Amino acid sequence: MLAYTLTRLVYLALVLAVMSVLIFLVTQAMPGDVASMIAGQFASKEVVDAIAVKLGLDQPLVVQYGQWAAGILRGDLGRSLVLEQPIAPILMEALARSLVLAVVALAVVAVVGIGLGVLAAVQRGKLTDQLVSGISYLGIAVPDFFWAIVLVLIFGSYMKLLPTGGYAPIADGFLPWASHLVLPVITLVLMLLARIARLTRSSMIDVLQTNYVKFARAKGMPESVVILRHALKNALLPTITVLAIDFGLILGGVVVIETIFSYPGMGRLLLFAIQRHDLPLIQATILVVSAAYCLANLTADLLYAYVNPKIRHGMKAA
Amino acid sequence: MMTAPQARPAVAPVTVTAPAPEPAPLLDVRGLTISYGNARGTLRAASDVGFAIRPGEVMGLVGESGSGKSTIAMAILDLLGGGGRVDSGEILFDGVDLRRLPAAERRALRGDRIAAVFQDPFTSLNPALTVGRQIAEPLIQHKSLSPRQAAARVLDLLAEVGIRDPRRVTAAYPHELSGGMQQRALIATALGCEPKLLILDEPTTALDVTVEARIIDLLAKLCDSHGLSALFVSHNLGIVNRICQTVTVLYGGLVVETGPTGRVLSRPAHPYSKGLVAALPRITAGRRHRLPSIPGTVAKLSGPPAACVFAPRCPFAEETCRSQPQAMLTDAAGDGVRCWKADALAGTPWPDEESAARKPAPQAPAQPTAPLVEVDHLRKVYGANRSILPWLRRAGTVAVEDVSFTVGRGEVVGVVGESGSGKSTIGRALLALTEPSAGTVLFDGTDLTRQVKQGDQDLRRRAQLVFQNSAASLNPRKTVGDAMDRPLVLAGRADAEERRKTVAGLLTRVGLPSAYADRYPHELSGGERQRVNIARALATDPDFVVCDEAVSALDVSVQANILNLLAELRDEMGLSYLFITHDIAVVSHIADRVLVVYGGTICEEGPTGRVLRPPYHPYTEALLSAVPRLAEDGQEAPRILLEDAAPTPGGQGCAFAARCPRKLGAICDEQAPPVHRADDGHRIACHIPLATLAERAAVFPELVGDAAH
Ligand code: SF4
Ligand code: SF4
Repeated sequence: MLAYTLTRLVYLALVLAVMSVLIFLVTQAMPGDVASMIAGQFASKEVVDAIAVKLGLDQPLVVQYGQWAAGILRGDLGRSLVLEQPIAPILMEALARSLVLAVVALAVVAVVGIGLGVLAAVQRGKLTDQLVSGISYLGIAVPDFFWAIVLVLIFGSYMKLLPTGGYAPIADGFLPWASHLVLPVITLVLMLLARIARLTRSSMIDVLQTNYVKFARAKGMPESVVILRHALKNALLPTITVLAIDFGLILGGVVVIETIFSYPGMGRLLLFAIQRHDLPLIQATILVVSAAYCLANLTADLLYAYVNPKIRHGMKAA
Repeated sequence: MMTAPQARPAVAPVTVTAPAPEPAPLLDVRGLTISYGNARGTLRAASDVGFAIRPGEVMGLVGESGSGKSTIAMAILDLLGGGGRVDSGEILFDGVDLRRLPAAERRALRGDRIAAVFQDPFTSLNPALTVGRQIAEPLIQHKSLSPRQAAARVLDLLAEVGIRDPRRVTAAYPHELSGGMQQRALIATALGCEPKLLILDEPTTALDVTVEARIIDLLAKLCDSHGLSALFVSHNLGIVNRICQTVTVLYGGLVVETGPTGRVLSRPAHPYSKGLVAALPRITAGRRHRLPSIPGTVAKLSGPPAACVFAPRCPFAEETCRSQPQAMLTDAAGDGVRCWKADALAGTPWPDEESAARKPAPQAPAQPTAPLVEVDHLRKVYGANRSILPWLRRAGTVAVEDVSFTVGRGEVVGVVGESGSGKSTIGRALLALTEPSAGTVLFDGTDLTRQVKQGDQDLRRRAQLVFQNSAASLNPRKTVGDAMDRPLVLAGRADAEERRKTVAGLLTRVGLPSAYADRYPHELSGGERQRVNIARALATDPDFVVCDEAVSALDVSVQANILNLLAELRDEMGLSYLFITHDIAVVSHIADRVLVVYGGTICEEGPTGRVLRPPYHPYTEALLSAVPRLAEDGQEAPRILLEDAAPTPGGQGCAFAARCPRKLGAICDEQAPPVHRADDGHRIACHIPLATLAERAAVFPELVGDAAH
């Protein structure tokens, strides 16, 4: 397990290094010149050049990248050109808010999705199963922003039960904080729930037909033990992988959701940075989002290895 | 009424003494009818099945696949899945009709009073839970033990089923145990609550013969010491002979014969039982003796039968058989048979197919011609990894270590070994499906690997493979004709009409109607699919066919059929086979020469008669003694029971050293055994001197006489 983790960490570092290069190159290729943006429309060429020198933009790309990467390794993400502040604190705050959204949404998806999937599998072919399947199809067929709009209309505009957007720090009290989370979380959940429920259902159905489930029944174990202890533990293996991928999707989907609900997280920060052509901020944001995505995948793989003794022991032996 | 057993004139005059007071049966199944229903109709899996198992008795329930034997076992456990339901009948356990009990009470009986062990130990254990926990579960559930008490009991149970380090096994996950250990763990689970009845559904079918022998021994011992009754579901008559006191033969969901095992297997009364016994390959029989087989496929009923179910396949069938359903006839001793001609046929054996029609088998071609396949110092290592990351580097596992042999033209070479022996790897290397790590394979004088790399399609054409799993090797969405067409197209046969003719010809050649070209694989039986696979292999007109466990998944009757077909094709087309199998009896039937492999090395090699009759090498000897036999094949040889240990390929000493009952000592662990050679090509790799081995070989008296064969 240790060797496996080490290997994966090495790969992770390699992937991030490659990504940092790509991010750097792509953002460099974006239209518009940073120095003239900062200097303003009417600045003279001298002023623009001076700014460029100050920012190190006259250096060759390799050197620029080197300085940027070295800064990141020291924990310095640079300064935002537009906000004229160090990026790290801004980014961390936004990241924390987005993570809250993502983690809560993921937790709800996991619990409700797995629950519905198991229920549908056990009741296979009966009414509950058909209901879950029907809802799943609906969830998959309808685009997620549609739910967002419907939710905003119903709960926010029409019933006026929940705030339709914005954010309240937890310092303002738990309820206001939580109430701002409800609609974005529900939207994210609706986006992913159907897939998890269906996946759990199908792997659960497979597992319920295995010999070890039959043998557990032959041992006279009550059905609840057969399902929860014998079947679910094995049926969850594929679900865990997909949940981890979903975590990445949530991080991506957050951009859309945050915009709709004007929730001040990473998504909005990225949008802001792109609109304002704030290169360092764009680079830092994308890099952090990518790193979060990779870490989510790594966690999923380690978790998968952990719950699957076959893999876990394979590693030990290696 | 066909349910009422009718009086049957006794075969021999039975001296009617006062009947001994019969103990009430522990399990009494009466008139059990089970059907599976789906949208396309219903299928009767069991019709009016009745049998009884007395306390302490082990009853065998035998029949081909599709005969309904497992269904009945599952019905007793109330675990019929997939749309199966019991239509009528009684299942009396200790006098109580289980069918009348509520589901919760039946569940409470399961694992407590009635315990089960299923076929495949590996899939019967939950991969995500430790073995100890799985054994403890029923103890906690039914006997209300605390987890701690249960854990202590688990250790005792494991010790009782012959596991030497119970502590390690309790903490292990299933995949860390060998198949034999897994099956022992399952048996320990079943024994935990001290049940009265065991339901054993093919408990050893998935195991190697040497392991199987030990498990059967263990089961017999346990049934004896605990006074257990058992329902032993099996397709293997040899094993039934070893462990069961009585046997019930099923055909098409009907009981066709019941009686004491010894009598049923030595003097079967029902034609179907006769066929089953006759089709069994025997080690004692000489090579090229044509196996009797049962033509056709198992009957599938949708309602009560209107004629004798076996009539379409019965060589003794008459008009009466086809117009009247047969009732169970019981003789004075209580033996039953469902055939009105049974008494008339007493003593008539299953017909020996066309002993006249068959031309005498040609002698194996004289050796001088250059062999077709030459394997020289073949070595194969899997999973070696030369990563730049030091913790990923791996030496790999040795599958085959320094193997050399030849296959002559028109010769059948059998490779016998258990799982992990490297036998399949050898076959794959001979077809260039895997690249040797060292050594060479010459096919007709040219280096196989190099030729194939250079894109030599001709070699691919000349060497073909027939697999074990006949279902998986055919694409379910393609008709038989399309599947067979493909190799022809690849071989560059352009004319579609001509190809169609070839396909029809090939189908006829393997004994299938040419109309089968339009069928889909699922419309065929297992035996028919295997015939299609053989036909497909023949499509390119090969010289050499590797049969990898080609008959292992088939019922004996069908297996006999396919073996005969392969032998015929060899005689007619001069094919060479490499016949890979775990079944030493099968090999003795078809092979001219045998290689006995263990742990990736050849233990013994030579002409079949010389190697098997009698065996010399300690491993060959153990393998042979492990094969269950019927009583009529002579007295049982002393059984040699091997330890459950994995082979240790790639080591310095003898690969068999860890399990060898005749191990000499450190020399076996440290030095590769020397090879004793005889001039007829018999080679034995063992540290024991040849003279001593020969002495010991005399222990198999019934086999010795055949040595000159
Ligand atoms: S009743 Fe006729 S067809 Fe049936 S087994 Fe007996 S002889 Fe054969
Ligand atoms: S060499 Fe030794 S261990 Fe190997 S088979 Fe012979 S006696 Fe047994």
